[in-house]
Amino acid sequence: MADLTQFALRRIGQSVVVIWGIITLVFLLRFLTPQDPAALVAPDDASSALVDQIRQDLGLTDPIVIQYFRYLADVAQGDLGFSYGSGVHVNDLILGALPATLELAFAALVFALVISIPLGVLSANRRGTNTDAATNIISLGGLSTPNFWLGIMLILLVPVQLGVLPTGGRVGPTQDLVAWMAHMILPTIALGTYFMALLFRMTRNNVIEELNKEYVRAARAKGLPENIITVRYVLQNSMAPVITVAGLQLGLLIGGSVVVEAVFNWPGIGSLFIQALNTADWPIMQGILIVVGIGYVVINIVVDILNAKLNPQVSLS
Amino acid sequence: MIKKRTVQSLKNELRSNPTAIIGVAIFTLLLFGAIFAPILAPHDPTTQYTDRTHQAPLGFGGESEQTQLVDGEMQTVVEDNSGTLNHALGTDANGRDILSRSLYGLRTSLLVAITAMTISLIVGTTFGLVSGYYGGRIDDSIMRFVDVILAFPSLLMALALFGILGPMTVFVPDPFAALGIVEDRPAVTPFPGTVTLAISAVIWVWIARVARAEARQVRNQEYVTAGKTMGMSNFAIIKNHVLPNSLTPILVLGTVQLATIIIIESSLSFLGFSGTTLSLGFDIAFGRDYLSNSWWISSIPGLFIVAAVISINLLGDWFRDALDPDIQGGGGR
Repeated sequence: MADLTQFALRRIGQSVVVIWGIITLVFLLRFLTPQDPAALVAPDDASSALVDQIRQDLGLTDPIVIQYFRYLADVAQGDLGFSYGSGVHVNDLILGALPATLELAFAALVFALVISIPLGVLSANRRGTNTDAATNIISLGGLSTPNFWLGIMLILLVPVQLGVLPTGGRVGPTQDLVAWMAHMILPTIALGTYFMALLFRMTRNNVIEELNKEYVRAARAKGLPENIITVRYVLQNSMAPVITVAGLQLGLLIGGSVVVEAVFNWPGIGSLFIQALNTADWPIMQGILIVVGIGYVVINIVVDILNAKLNPQVSLS
Repeated sequence: MIKKRTVQSLKNELRSNPTAIIGVAIFTLLLFGAIFAPILAPHDPTTQYTDRTHQAPLGFGGESEQTQLVDGEMQTVVEDNSGTLNHALGTDANGRDILSRSLYGLRTSLLVAITAMTISLIVGTTFGLVSGYYGGRIDDSIMRFVDVILAFPSLLMALALFGILGPMTVFVPDPFAALGIVEDRPAVTPFPGTVTLAISAVIWVWIARVARAEARQVRNQEYVTAGKTMGMSNFAIIKNHVLPNSLTPILVLGTVQLATIIIIESSLSFLGFSGTTLSLGFDIAFGRDYLSNSWWISSIPGLFIVAAVISINLLGDWFRDALDPDIQGGGGR
């Protein structure tokens, strides 16, 4: 137990360094941009004196070290600054957009898990049959299809050809529960398919590996039904790495949602990021990068520590 | 540097594995199509045949009644958009030939993918091997930096870098046009410099991680200790022992990452951040507005991407099965 606490502390210590690195890198990114923030904040007809004044107010005339420490202090207090374009607080913008993205990522995760794990087990149990071949071909297709193109093909097939389901947009669950779900279906499939294919492959490989172990032979010799062997023993023992990957690749879903949101006009942080990129609104982009980056690091620690706690074989070094 | 044994096991696997053959065949075909695009493309990819817009691919389309404004009056005219051999994969809303555009787009994709992969391999292998070989503080600082970059989704980071650098498109003279082999084809190939750099900046870290893990294993081998005892310099040891013995898993991961790069490149150009319009992602985005009447404009360029990525994934599986390196094929889009 003492080992585990030590491991957790060391892991958290490393992560603090990484989080500091994230904030520093994000600060430097803005510094490298050719655009003058003051010119973006100022109205179009502003005099050069006004632009100078704004530059001073934004603290852009201070030495870079001062600006850096000010930024570090702000972010440490959870203040991500103000949008250049609208003057709205970045925290509010991100908090407004984050639920839509998390909801989509979570739905995609559930979609991927619910389909990939049963299919992976089925495919592994029937290794070498047509079922196995068919599921493998589907997973290869899923791994190889860009999610934005899949989204467009779904729009082409379902709303355009069949006339059901909306082509895009989002309705809040509190407004209309049915419409909320209807709007979620296609983006969820578009975002979750790659992930599903990835988890399918992992499940299949792990189950095959597990099925070849001695204890399975022993259980069979004892006369245990195949179903019980699969569900009780094999599945449980082969799931740990799959769950780890599922947790770690949440970042992949957030990254993927940038394009999927663009396809389906989904008002999440991906859309917010693209909008900000088009108007060089760096505080918004910096805020999103920091939130996503730190979120990833935190999920990583949690998954690592959980894994170490659940699986005593994980070496704590 | 690549051992005979490696080549032999690749050959053996190819003989027993039909999907590897399919992968090699599709990839060769696409690579051939991309390199010789100026010769193989039936039309200039940028020419707008205004009398032949929205023409369906061969075997599709047909006559349809359309309401049009003719001489200030609304009239119903019968239009025929059935496919012809001249435009085998149809034309887009501006009357540009889709087959030609897709071949040129594929050319851009593969050019970016191979260049970005080369940069990532060089940078990632260098940092990874140094990190793994020396260990200690050098290892710590390099790996923490790698962790920082890995914390961002690749696409988000690449977009941010695009925002800093701007498009930076380099126009490379097309060898076929320059040598006068083809006429009426673009004289230059636009090479999206920023996209390549931005992608390299997020991909090298995956290579570095694998290279480091390999170097750490090799570092404790007896021949490395022997080399040190004999007074070989660290550089010589890395070059002569560590690199050759780490190369296989690095190259396998590199192949798999080629697929990721193609997807990131097409995503960037789909979102409008690429610096060239001769790209598959751009054409997919262009076709979105015409989904209800011309499905082929978005669909066909996407099929080219899927074919390229499938073939690369099959190549990756082939390498992995044949060489069985112990790596976690990381992705991250």
